Amino acid sequence: MALNRLHNFPVLPGTQRLADLIAPLRKEPPPTPQPAQGFFTDTSLCIGCKACEVACKQWNQLPATAPTWSGSSYDNTQQLSATTWRHVQFIEQIGRNGGRNVPPNLPLFEDRIETAKSNGTIPATPPRTALPFFNSDRWLMQSDVCKHCAHAPCQEACPTGAIIRTEFDTVYVQQDICNGCGYCIVTCPFGVIARDEHGDHLAHKCTLCYDRLKDGLEPACAKACPTDSIVFGEVAQLKEQARQRLGTLHERGLSEARLYGVDEAILDGGLNSFFLLLDEPELYNLPRNPQRPSNNVAPASLWTIVTAMLLGLMGIIYFRARE
Amino acid sequence: MEQLASLTTGYTPDPAKEQQELTYYDYPVLKAPFWRWEIIWYFFLGGLAAGCYVIASIASLFGSKEDRIVTRTGYYLSLLALLPCPALLIKDLGRPERFLNMLRIFKLKSAMSMGVWSLLSFSLFSGVTATIQAARDGLLGKWWGAKLLAALPQKLLALLGSPFAVFLGGYTGVLLAATSVPLWSRSKHLGAIFVSSAISTSAALISFVLRIVGAPAKTLHKLEQMEWLALLVEMGELLIFLRGSGRAARALVGTGPNEHGYTFWRFMFGGGLVLPWLLQTLLLLGRRSHGAKRRLKQKDGVKSTQRQRGGIGLLISLLVLMGGYFLRRTMIEGGRSSSRDGRVALWHGRG
Repeated sequence: MALNRLHNFPVLPGTQRLADLIAPLRKEPPPTPQPAQGFFTDTSLCIGCKACEVACKQWNQLPATAPTWSGSSYDNTQQLSATTWRHVQFIEQIGRNGGRNVPPNLPLFEDRIETAKSNGTIPATPPRTALPFFNSDRWLMQSDVCKHCAHAPCQEACPTGAIIRTEFDTVYVQQDICNGCGYCIVTCPFGVIARDEHGDHLAHKCTLCYDRLKDGLEPACAKACPTDSIVFGEVAQLKEQARQRLGTLHERGLSEARLYGVDEAILDGGLNSFFLLLDEPELYNLPRNPQRPSNNVAPASLWTIVTAMLLGLMGIIYFRARE
Repeated sequence: MEQLASLTTGYTPDPAKEQQELTYYDYPVLKAPFWRWEIIWYFFLGGLAAGCYVIASIASLFGSKEDRIVTRTGYYLSLLALLPCPALLIKDLGRPERFLNMLRIFKLKSAMSMGVWSLLSFSLFSGVTATIQAARDGLLGKWWGAKLLAALPQKLLALLGSPFAVFLGGYTGVLLAATSVPLWSRSKHLGAIFVSSAISTSAALISFVLRIVGAPAKTLHKLEQMEWLALLVEMGELLIFLRGSGRAARALVGTGPNEHGYTFWRFMFGGGLVLPWLLQTLLLLGRRSHGAKRRLKQKDGVKSTQRQRGGIGLLISLLVLMGGYFLRRTMIEGGRSSSRDGRVALWHGRG
């Protein structure tokens, strides 16, 4: 773009090269900030169809991963990677509560079968009753994705400035700036961002469909989700929606349901892409309370400086010593 | 070794209990670092470059006339160790041709950005200081340029460059501590370990060279005292690190599959730290009694200005250098195992 202006003049040889070389240094005026956008992934609605995985791959033109058979569940994708930005987990909980089928704390829908037989009509299920064949075995599904943390460790670590916060307050890797140093990969507490070892050797992760957002569209995964387990919207509004949904689930007896990343506890500011879980976070491979890596810089530096000063001082004493 | 691991970390594996912990099919939570030999050697050589500069500067600013040999050797070795560093770092990048992008920004929050800038600034100091040294040693000939260089204030540069050297020697540990890898980030002492190792390996390298070319016994004694103390501090810091890391340190000290305890205890903590420290202690104690005898001799009119060569000090130096290398190697490889262990990452994530 900077070159367009030059075209009116005779272009010296090497100008193009020079322009390419200094292009990464050019600072463009930032776009006007928009309200923060994010995902609310409600795992209580997920049916494990993997439409999000497919939609994400299609829209972002990500190559298919070589098929592997995990042998543990229907989850053969197994992890988020440089070329998989949505990943559906399957958690099979057989024999929970030590194999006992403990129904939720609700009246059972019982003794109606006999009534039905004699009446010839099936009575309607009154609200807030548990069915008599209640089974506590269950199958949890979750569509995992980049958390777009409010204080993103990958963004804080990035030494080139390739990882930025967009005008939508999402975390985005500028592919033309990244040089594949790999520091972001070890700082992400969720194992999201990864380097594409078979492709361009650069760091990749969910962009929250930055290109679609620019055009006023919702991200591909949210668009494709048939049960609205993945909801896209303004973070503040989504958080309110998540709290309401949690209230409803608690009311219906799902006392283990919880929100993950909605409050500001995780990484000193919460997540812009957060979850409603039906069980402990560890079951979903989510660390309960990960620490913000950049918080370690100050104490680690302090110990380093103290040690260096001690050794330096003693060195001075040793070298000054006259026999 | 298992007992050592339990004793130092204060953690004994309890498979029955840990099997009860919730996980997702034991899949890794974190992505493993792909840093390999380039980074291990960069950490090692960067430490040497930093440590040699600091020791040379201390000898130049505070040492006696005889200690100038430390200054000279230190500055040359610092530059030599520094030369391969940028190449190693660039080779490690996914896209090496984009290494200049590191210099787009100056980011206090990113340890790697700060490291790049410190490496760049320190290279300037190390290069200029070593060139002045070469000019003063007559290596650059006798033309006016060499004379001008020799007249530059080397001591002032040493004073300004030393903080950058310390930064280079320690930031690597801070960089690893500011990650989500349990082994690296649980305890916050990795920077302190790396900086003391930078001093101990550098003192070992300088005294190794001096013992080959020959140096005044008094000067060697000063160097070895410094090496002895750095080893002691390193040992203390490592023990604090292991205790503070607890279960997260298993990848480093344990002897199970994917754990690096055998290498760590044999070549780092045992052979590369405790053994050379003990030998150094014996040597220093021995010299003290020897020195007393010599002083008696001096009274009798025998002057002792002879240069010392060889000796067990050479072996000590080699052991310390080996320990310094294996410290970096086991830390990097242990970090990889640590981030692949889903249970440890979830345990670490509980805060």
